[in-house]
Amino acid sequence: MRTKKSSSFQKYKGFLLEPSIQNFFTGRIWARETTPFPKEKIDIYIKRGLLKIKPAIGEGPVCHRCLNKEKKQFIFYHCARCQKVCTYCRYCIQMGRMSSCTELLTWNGPLPKLNSYHSLVWKSRFTPLQEKVSIELTESIKQGRSHLVSAVCGAGKTEILFTAIHDALNEKKRVCVATPRTDVVLELAPRFAEVFPQTTVQALYGGAPQSCMYAPLIIATTHQLYRFEQAFDIMIVDEADAFPYTYDASLQQAVQKAKKEQAPIAFVTATPTSELLELKKTGGYSFIPSRYHGHPLPVPRFSSLWGYDKSIKKKRIPKKLKEWTEKRIAENEPFLIFFPTIELMQQAIPLFRQLDSKIEAVHAEDSDRKEKVLHLRNREIKGLLTTTILERGITIKNVQVAVVGAESKIFTASALIQISGRVGRNKDFPAGDIVFFHHGMTVEMDMAQEEIKRLNKEGFPSA
Amino acid sequence: MLKEVHNCLLCQKPLQTQVSWLTFFERFPPIICADCEGKFELSADTDPDHRSLYQYNEPMKDFLHRYKFLYDVVLAKVFQRKLHDLLKNEKRIIVAVPMHPEKLLERTFSPVEELLNAAKISYTPLLEKTTTDTQSKKTREERLNTPQLFRTAGEVKAAHYVVFDDIYTTGTTIEHAKRALLEAGAKSVASVTLIRG
Repeated sequence: MRTKKSSSFQKYKGFLLEPSIQNFFTGRIWARETTPFPKEKIDIYIKRGLLKIKPAIGEGPVCHRCLNKEKKQFIFYHCARCQKVCTYCRYCIQMGRMSSCTELLTWNGPLPKLNSYHSLVWKSRFTPLQEKVSIELTESIKQGRSHLVSAVCGAGKTEILFTAIHDALNEKKRVCVATPRTDVVLELAPRFAEVFPQTTVQALYGGAPQSCMYAPLIIATTHQLYRFEQAFDIMIVDEADAFPYTYDASLQQAVQKAKKEQAPIAFVTATPTSELLELKKTGGYSFIPSRYHGHPLPVPRFSSLWGYDKSIKKKRIPKKLKEWTEKRIAENEPFLIFFPTIELMQQAIPLFRQLDSKIEAVHAEDSDRKEKVLHLRNREIKGLLTTTILERGITIKNVQVAVVGAESKIFTASALIQISGRVGRNKDFPAGDIVFFHHGMTVEMDMAQEEIKRLNKEGFPSA
Repeated sequence: MLKEVHNCLLCQKPLQTQVSWLTFFERFPPIICADCEGKFELSADTDPDHRSLYQYNEPMKDFLHRYKFLYDVVLAKVFQRKLHDLLKNEKRIIVAVPMHPEKLLERTFSPVEELLNAAKISYTPLLEKTTTDTQSKKTREERLNTPQLFRTAGEVKAAHYVVFDDIYTTGTTIEHAKRALLEAGAKSVASVTLIRG
């Protein structure tokens, strides 16, 4: 119940705001045609100036949702509704088409009343280094300064965020954790919901169920950021350089647009680009060179696999790869084999099934992707063939990893580091095999191996 | 739609085009890559009264989703060359299956007419849709018992006609269009669709 009337409330005398409309639109930028509310209601809110309208495509042209300005991504056509030439943006069309006759709505009314009590239910199991980084990050955020956390795969990056997020929530701030991959959103959201039991945590990704609650903590794919404007007080970009959605210009803009102007950004990554490392000069910087369990990172080994693609085309698994796989099956170790292309992987899968019928293959468009990974984790299947889609965010106990065709362009140094990072994450199995099968070595392979060795040296200076 | 496309319209991969003298005589520059092209399955229809270019399959489903439901108008060009070749020598009068005007306002374009526009095939607007119902939301039973969907607009001569639609599923739409034209005096009406469902 409202006892005291705030001044902004008085302005709208005689009109009670519907909480769901207020909650939904706060921070969002949304097409008028596709709101979850009846058209008549929305019309009233617009008339009263509570929702502002702007056309989706501005002069230039520029798309006001995704900020795309690239000329060839705009299509001009004769619009039957306007009886004139309209322009639409192809860059973000997967999220519903934005055309010059589409109207975008932003909230222009009072902000919802926010809860300032959020509990953090989590027992710290920090290593001294994690603790230090957590304090550094919290301090930076408090001062409104951006911060880069560079931490090796398996360092326990998510936990490091908890305290900083908790402090911000209690100051009635709105926090977004953005990551390029839906898989990572699906993995992170329940973890956050568990440690912040009193907080509305929303997971946003393509096809996520829609909710009209106000969420002070949002876990979203970077693409979903297009639907926000000046919404967040703190922005956390997880896996800031995640391949193949490199932290490109358009996504950088999406981050800038979704956050409030002064809001700090925390970047969290295992493989920072030189551009991100620039942050060291202006913002905070923390570095964790070792894993939470205190064991060094498994170093990838190289093994030649000449003409592997021809051999697979001839329906034969190359000898070394076959022996490697048979060994995993014999020792009952789960395994991942990365392929450079879906085509090659699909040619290979029947051959691998001859070794063991319980081997599956996954790629980006595979609708059973989640289930297959779960089957591997539960040891219901022996191994998975995969494209780079599983390169990050996946944790499977005692997993052994091979990369086939490590010389392929798709396997950049950062991708190879991420892939190597799948191995030895569990404290009971801190080691494991990571092998790059190749048809000729590349600079990227060398760089990946060198970087892992360097990190081990930093993490274990005496070794 | 004025610009030339240098990436595949469907998968965004850069297009490898070899420029030769023939390029200058080519009416439709390639706009999708060979990989995407190969995923569409040509139809083996032999029915003289009805001709479909393609068989419905997963990539076609994806195409229709992007074209008709995400309103990516430029995708009308994907089949321009094939449609042009099929219909360029057509002697009969081509009639595009129309949308209800209300639907047209909602969608901002007519997917069926845009296919023909992109293929540079002219057609005559002789039909009007009388209902805003869409066939795709009905069951088979409901489709077969639908009252007449079209009325004629303008003069139907005692000539030979071809009705054109994007997809043939149960054939209800096409049958209604044919009947409307025949009742108004057409000598014969055949049909062509892009896809056979």
